[in-house]
Amino acid sequence: MSIYIQFLLIGIGTGVIIGALAVGLTLSFRASGVINFGHGAIATYVTYVFVEMHQNGEYPIPPLPNPLAMGAGIANWFGANLDAPDIPTVIHIGDGTSVGMAAAIAIATSVLLGFAAHFLVFRPLRYAPATAKVVASIGILLTLQAIVVLRFGSRPKQAEPLLPDEPVTVLGADIPRDRFLLLALLLIVTFVLWAAFRFTRFGIATRAAAENEETATLLGYSADFQAAVSWITASMIAGGVGILVAPITGVTPARMTLLIVPAVAAAMVGAFSSFWASALVGVAIGMVQSLIFILEQRQSWVPDLDLSEILPLVLIAAVMVVRGDVIPGRGAIRAERLPLAYADRIRPLAVILFLIAMLAAVVWLPFEYRNGLNNSMIGVMLALSLVVATGFVGQISLAQVALAGIAAFGLGSYVAEGGIPFLLGYPLAVITAAGFGFLVGLLALRSRGPSLAIVTLGAGIAIEAVLFRRDGWFGTSGIATADAPEIFGIEFGFASAFPLGDDKWPSPAVGVFILAVTAAACLFVARLRRSPTGEHMLAVRANERAAAAAGVNVARIKLAAFTLSAAIAGAAGALKAGQLGSFRPDTFGFVASLVLVAYAYLGGISTVSGALWTGTLVGAGIGTVVGEEFIILGRYETYIAGTFLIAELALDADGIAGSTRRFNRFMAARLRRMLGQARPPIARTEMVS
Amino acid sequence: MNPPLLQVDNLYAGYNGVSVVRGLTLTVSAGELVALLGPNGAGKTTTLRAVSGLVERHGGSVTVLGGPVPKLRRAHKVARRGLAHVPEGRGILGQLTVRENLLLATRRGKVDFHRALDYFPALEPLMDRKGALLSGGEQQMVVLSRAILARPRLMLIDELSLGLAPILFSQLLPVVRRFVDEMGAGMLLVEQYAEMSLAYSDRAYVLNHGDLVLSGPADDLLADRGRLDAAYLGGNDRTCPEFLPAESQT
Repeated sequence: MSIYIQFLLIGIGTGVIIGALAVGLTLSFRASGVINFGHGAIATYVTYVFVEMHQNGEYPIPPLPNPLAMGAGIANWFGANLDAPDIPTVIHIGDGTSVGMAAAIAIATSVLLGFAAHFLVFRPLRYAPATAKVVASIGILLTLQAIVVLRFGSRPKQAEPLLPDEPVTVLGADIPRDRFLLLALLLIVTFVLWAAFRFTRFGIATRAAAENEETATLLGYSADFQAAVSWITASMIAGGVGILVAPITGVTPARMTLLIVPAVAAAMVGAFSSFWASALVGVAIGMVQSLIFILEQRQSWVPDLDLSEILPLVLIAAVMVVRGDVIPGRGAIRAERLPLAYADRIRPLAVILFLIAMLAAVVWLPFEYRNGLNNSMIGVMLALSLVVATGFVGQISLAQVALAGIAAFGLGSYVAEGGIPFLLGYPLAVITAAGFGFLVGLLALRSRGPSLAIVTLGAGIAIEAVLFRRDGWFGTSGIATADAPEIFGIEFGFASAFPLGDDKWPSPAVGVFILAVTAAACLFVARLRRSPTGEHMLAVRANERAAAAAGVNVARIKLAAFTLSAAIAGAAGALKAGQLGSFRPDTFGFVASLVLVAYAYLGGISTVSGALWTGTLVGAGIGTVVGEEFIILGRYETYIAGTFLIAELALDADGIAGSTRRFNRFMAARLRRMLGQARPPIARTEMVS
Repeated sequence: MNPPLLQVDNLYAGYNGVSVVRGLTLTVSAGELVALLGPNGAGKTTTLRAVSGLVERHGGSVTVLGGPVPKLRRAHKVARRGLAHVPEGRGILGQLTVRENLLLATRRGKVDFHRALDYFPALEPLMDRKGALLSGGEQQMVVLSRAILARPRLMLIDELSLGLAPILFSQLLPVVRRFVDEMGAGMLLVEQYAEMSLAYSDRAYVLNHGDLVLSGPADDLLADRGRLDAAYLGGNDRTCPEFLPAESQT
């Protein structure tokens, strides 16, 4: 029995960092209305700074573009042999600093990060839709994560314990003392925040601004200042507790970053308003996860299902079902503008010419370009799935790649293992993904904005943990395989014979097949936008209540969108499986979902042309292949995705597609004026919905 | 004579680049209760929000308490200068208790709750109740006392009458007048109910469709109902000699 008590109490260690993150999430939410999915990444980053400063005296510098290197590259092209000085990657301060010095520098870094999160990301996005803020915080997660990996590598590091950890005996179990010290620290922090919000004028004014920013402003309180203070405080709590907990959790790029999921679950129980609930539920989650771990080992009645991975999702789903969408809204001063969802024009001639060009490209381009194109086209499909759910209906989904994975693993099981012909197995796989999409959509009926992001993130992680990583219909502990697509005896696989082009892999056959499916999906989504259903979707995006009042069945539209979106994602996933032949659970991991959302916003979240841009940008796509001709991007891919995403959101929410369109219109107008064909200005009739 | 507390000069203001108020000029001086009247959509609220820095200004100048109006991001600075703006729909903070609402009147120092109770004795038993649980009239009292406790030199009130029974409205107006007289502050009162407001005002401006259509001493406007009605109903009676030009009246 005492072993269970022991594990339960040892779990306080992880529980405290979950609780601290949850408290920080609650704090910054109350002051700015934003849920920062990058909050765990801040803890990771600060912990790394501490460990590296203490052990090696190295302070990381985020990667910066080096204009000199480009000049040198161009000069070398013309035969010169220049070597531009590199921007240093780290600042060296001796061989390692004292604990106090390292801690001071790390905490200073956390202050800086909190300030940057406010000043560079969320303040420019104050009037942006909630979904855009969520996506921006994913940008923070990706950026910080990428810097850590780029500067310190992904191998785990060991942190030196700062707190006394000799065991004390509690209820017959030996528990390291630091667990209780950490718990006490968390409770003190929570008490201070609670008291500050309850009794001080700053706290009361922050509550006032959360309810009605305009009234608070008229009374002379700056919501901006409140937000800055809260971001910095939250960041310091995350960093400080991160340093103290690091010896317990270990220092890896992903560990604390991913604790954001249970932290969000804990904060959700407290409706992002209660510091006490956030802290205590956070600690409880850590303890229960630890207990589940030992129960799965020792007790045969406990299914070995990685239950601790699903625990946050179960908690979130329970809160949703019991209380509905509990995250309070914020009374902002200005209305939010949603990304422009213009209807892409389908000009038959242009489409046919483009298809012919693409067909030629996937057949005759050199093999690495063909491969890039194939990846891009699959990326276009994944982006389209987000265009339907997020772009048209405004429902963010962080589970798209997991849904794609359902179809991929499904295809492998149905065709390679089950012996069902591909022509039947492929639609079956797509339908399976659509079914899961429907289930995610059911959860989405009761949530929107940030809480929907949380639900879908949890769902994606649960799908990955429970389905992909276990042996069975949808998963494997090793490598899954899928047969090459085969229709009426003709194979469209990576190595299939094809009469035209060179004989290198990938075979043009796979490209032709992917092109056919992708083109169909693009035309379908473009048509959908123009259909009555598409108009209903936009109505739901703009205002759910108004849409319902106008006779739109909001629930049905949402479910339809999620189902359809999952089907498109599934079609992409199954294509990916067919293209790869063999794949692992990681291929469809949840970080891929986050990166996809980043690229989709970058390309343009609400239009088909945006999806085409997204496809160009995605990792290992045609954009990367072309880019590699000039500079090596591979290692920096996540970093670039993260930083560009934030910049894009802060400057212009319409993505590259929107900017390009504006630029084209501007140039066309200039051209017309130059040619003397001035037309009367046309009133803007676009729906800025 | 001291410069006016509020000087609006040829103001253009509105939303998304479209001006809702066009070429408005008005002043409010210390110790003066000025009514800003007009039907729905006349631009009254937009005028007040332009003064507080909450809407975009497209032209003209606004000088509040000796300084220009800052950008939206710095809008809180106007309040710190001594401006109290009671927004349309009251601006009660529903999740905060009455006491907390009043506490926010000043940003530092003690708040003299007795002064609020002196103006509105009915608030005494409600001090620890949440704002959202009060009746409309009680909420209006809380918001008015919050504005009074801020000891502003200039107060803007947007639609005191909104959602209130006329009898309650008629009880609040004398309190507003008393505040102006006791404190020597300036007040710009936006209203739809012309007659009741004019009875307590010194001067008035009437807006319609964003244009200033009538202005003058409150008594003169009250005396000539026909002209007031015409102004409300969109009558374009700008050439009337007794009332224009507006500037010459002050």
